[in-house]
Amino acid sequence: MIWLIASALLFSIGAYGVLTRRTAILMFLSIELMLNAAALSLISFSKLLGSLDAQVVVLFIIAIAAAEVAVGLGLIVAIFRRRETTSVDELRQLRG
Amino acid sequence: MQENLLLPLIIALPLLGFALLGLFGRRIGEPLAGWLASLLVLGSFLLGLMLLLQGGAKWTLAEWLPGIPFSLNLDNLSGVMLMVVAGVGFLIHVWAIGYMHGDPGYSRFFSYFNLFIAAMLVLVLGDSLPVVFIGWEGVGLASYLLIGFWYTERVNADSARKAFIVNRIGDLGFLLAMGLLWSMFGTLSISELVDKVEAGGYSFTTLTLAGFFLLVGAMGKSAQVPLMVWLPDAMAGPTPVSALIHAATMVTAGVYLLVRHAFILHGDGFLAGLIVAVGLLTAYYGALCSLGQWDIKRIVAYTTLSQLGFMFVAVGVGAYWVAIFHIVTHAFFKALMFMTSGSVIHALGGEQDVRQMGGMRKYLPATHLHGLVATAASGGLIPFAGFWSKDAILAYSFEFGPWLWALMLGASVLAALYSIRWYVLVFWGEYRGKAHPHESPAVMLWPNHILMGGALGVGFIGLPYVIDYKNFIEPFLTKAIGDFPHEKLPVVTEWVLIIISAVVAIATLWWGFRFFQQKMPAWYERFQAAALQGFYVDAVYNALLVNPAKGLADLLFGADRGLLAGFTGLGSLMGGLGSLLARLETGALRFYLAGLLVGLVLLVGWGVLR
Repeated sequence: MIWLIASALLFSIGAYGVLTRRTAILMFLSIELMLNAAALSLISFSKLLGSLDAQVVVLFIIAIAAAEVAVGLGLIVAIFRRRETTSVDELRQLRG
Repeated sequence: MQENLLLPLIIALPLLGFALLGLFGRRIGEPLAGWLASLLVLGSFLLGLMLLLQGGAKWTLAEWLPGIPFSLNLDNLSGVMLMVVAGVGFLIHVWAIGYMHGDPGYSRFFSYFNLFIAAMLVLVLGDSLPVVFIGWEGVGLASYLLIGFWYTERVNADSARKAFIVNRIGDLGFLLAMGLLWSMFGTLSISELVDKVEAGGYSFTTLTLAGFFLLVGAMGKSAQVPLMVWLPDAMAGPTPVSALIHAATMVTAGVYLLVRHAFILHGDGFLAGLIVAVGLLTAYYGALCSLGQWDIKRIVAYTTLSQLGFMFVAVGVGAYWVAIFHIVTHAFFKALMFMTSGSVIHALGGEQDVRQMGGMRKYLPATHLHGLVATAASGGLIPFAGFWSKDAILAYSFEFGPWLWALMLGASVLAALYSIRWYVLVFWGEYRGKAHPHESPAVMLWPNHILMGGALGVGFIGLPYVIDYKNFIEPFLTKAIGDFPHEKLPVVTEWVLIIISAVVAIATLWWGFRFFQQKMPAWYERFQAAALQGFYVDAVYNALLVNPAKGLADLLFGADRGLLAGFTGLGSLMGGLGSLLARLETGALRFYLAGLLVGLVLLVGWGVLR
């Protein structure tokens, strides 16, 4: 139960970070926080319910997060090389 | 008559040429493209000749459409037509190699030309009426493409459209005939229809109606009055097109169609009278118009019209083999006449007005010889090809009624007149233009030499029975058309008719030769002014049919525009709403995230409060 509260806190911190940070790197980091919060809640549910199903999902989450980091960081680095900035307020030229 | 896979190959060869030249024409280039096209047609000719000598062939694809086989049939009748189409077609192909020299659309021209030959062969060989119809429309398409070949000039494109649209009227007749025959007999194979018509058990009125619809189809393709207005304008295309399509082959397709269905037409007094009337009218109209034209190609176009009228009269009086015989001789001398004109045009650097010609016999000796033979054959001078086929038509007309014979003799007098007029204006007198005429290259002369041989000699395959009791072409064709016995004229009458027509032709040619060299009297000038306009038929058609139709179209288009305006209004309203929403799309990522969060809060709140 306590872990669920911890997970909610972690998620909230992550969401706040995504909404307030301007650098893409830190937004990215916040997203990872939110993912981990979800994973943490799943682990605690699995402990509470006494089944291992949720743990499988957690492994999936970890794997997908890793893949996402690989792609996302690659993109951010490429953008930084071209634009010398990662501020999401300046990267607006893809608007309709 | 065995199944034979070589038969579709005859059609496939020119079709292959069409595809190859259409796809890679630019890379093949001049003059290879022309030779390739010509050789493929020659291949078709030789294949066809081989199969014909084997006694014909058939080829069937059983279930092409439900209940309708895709069948081809090479018998003596379609064989003769195939010889004309592929044989004369090959010569004109070769001639075109020289004539089209240096044209930017060189390979395009030959690709269309091959398409035409392929379609014409489908038309001729088709045994099932829908197959014939494919060819029928195919030649129409090729004709349209080639009349409008130099499409950058508006007048050429207009002429092409005119030909296409007028032919639509005839095609409707063909379609109606097909539907009617299908509903009557449940089959569309010509070879099966023959037996079904023999068997009886149907209403004769309906059959007459079917014959009438076929006649309408034939009138469109063969440019008979009242659907003749497209043929003179079809001269907007290059000269080889006029020679091949609008003289030797396509325009005779209507006559061929009628002869194919002789078993429907025969013995039907109403249809016979109608066909004779149409043919006579056309023969006179074409001849009279030709006497007033100044454009060398229009002169020849109207003569073609007149000769087609002769063929129709032949069909009408039941002389089916004579009609085909006249197609053969006419293909030779009229193609020669057109190509001679083409050589003259070529020599004068594109000049087509006969008032700017004259005296060509000094400059172009070989072409002059061709022109002389073409004139003699077309004017019916004994013993040239045109004389024998025309004489056979006259003889049959006499059996139909001496009055018809007299009228036809009048038409042949006019035929002799327009031939000699063309000849005199182009080749005699003094040269009136400013160009420096030069004789055509060998590639253009040789086909004309061969055609000249045909115009001289091809008449001897169909001599009248008093001279040669078993001429070659009559039994050969009746085997395929069906034998419709008729009373042969007594020998004396036959001889008298031959002599009369020979003497009249000689006299007319001689008189015309003197008359057209001098200054024209006033009455002739007046007649000429009317003839030049085709006796104002075009103007009448425009006033009666074209302009009302155009008015109606404008009216409907106006209503359409009102409707369309309504729809566009609706569309732009939606577009406006969309553009309002589109302004939310700023590209600022954190603004989107804020939206996401707001949405999330709302959703969660709604979920809790529900």
